[in-house]
Amino acid sequence: MNDVYLFELSSQRTAYLSARQTLIAGNVANANTPAYKALDLKPFSAVLQQASIDMATTNPAHLTPTAQELDPPIARENGDEYATVSGNSVDVEGEMVKLGEVNRDFGMATGVKKIFRQMFMQALK
Amino acid sequence: MEVTALSSIGAAASTRAQAVQPSAPAANTGPSFTEMLSQIISGGVNTLQAGESAAIQGMTGAASPFKVVEAVMQAQQTLQEGLSIRDKVVSAYQEISRMTI
Amino acid sequence: MADQDALGASLRIAGSGLESQSVRLRVISENIANAQSTASVPGGDPYTRQTITFENALDRATGASLVKVKDIGRDAAPYSVEQDPGNPAADENGFVKLPNVDILVELADLREANRSYEANLQVAKQSSDLMNQTVALLKDV
Repeated sequence: MNDVYLFELSSQRTAYLSARQTLIAGNVANANTPAYKALDLKPFSAVLQQASIDMATTNPAHLTPTAQELDPPIARENGDEYATVSGNSVDVEGEMVKLGEVNRDFGMATGVKKIFRQMFMQALK
Repeated sequence: MEVTALSSIGAAASTRAQAVQPSAPAANTGPSFTEMLSQIISGGVNTLQAGESAAIQGMTGAASPFKVVEAVMQAQQTLQEGLSIRDKVVSAYQEISRMTI
Repeated sequence: MADQDALGASLRIAGSGLESQSVRLRVISENIANAQSTASVPGGDPYTRQTITFENALDRATGASLVKVKDIGRDAAPYSVEQDPGNPAADENGFVKLPNVDILVELADLREANRSYEANLQVAKQSSDLMNQTVALLKDV
């Protein structure tokens, strides 16, 4: 059960989204901190490639990147178009939009996990 | 797992079909019972696979939430149907085996 | 599990944001309340506008990027001066120094601070919600 790709992927997804939530929190909290540069994660697909996840993997032993491998987040900075005089580059409205994205994506990942697990438990009866 | 459940229907159905030899059918009007069940099973497996890949694509951002929900709900339904058929086949078989001839 | 660590960290970060913005709101409120506060002695200095600066505090253990108040200072901008000989704070020439507070600036800052506070609150609520979603997976298993 633990090496099924779908569940592995779902766990990676929630780990990624949690890391993104932390970066968003940092950006919003530091919206008024001088010279603070807003951070975000690279897209999920890029992170997956980096961890060499292959859907047709033949080695189920190393399917999930461990927490350590996803931390520290592979962050990138916002462009300087948002920078204020102090060098702060946080765009709070943008962060709020990203917050909503994280919410939906997290809901989908946990929803998928829940439903497929239910289906599995049903089939066992 | 879910595939095992569905394939067990096929196993049960084919063993029964072998045990009771049908007398030569007059004309080949449609699929045999075995074939019908096999089609249900393979269709079911396809729906499950579609649900799974939609879920995977949804999480990597390649599919819209709507498509994911649709495909996954379809898969859930199909599994439910498959399990229902399995249960009925099993209980029917048990009934038959209890019959005294 | 790393999820809970990350979400817990995000909650602490949002908390630090709420705290910092609260202090900022207090500072702005004091500026507004004292916008007209002149000196108690003739020729003395009036209320001086307070300023607040934040700084990023990196929590090394969790890698959490907290914010905290770096310093609450005094605005060095000059006081405005009015001619008001009857005022108890007037000097020998009848001039009264008024606080270097511009109400309009303070009100705009107040709106900003409120907005930042609300944003941090939203982040905190969502972090909490996501953690609950994870735990909810254990229900009706």
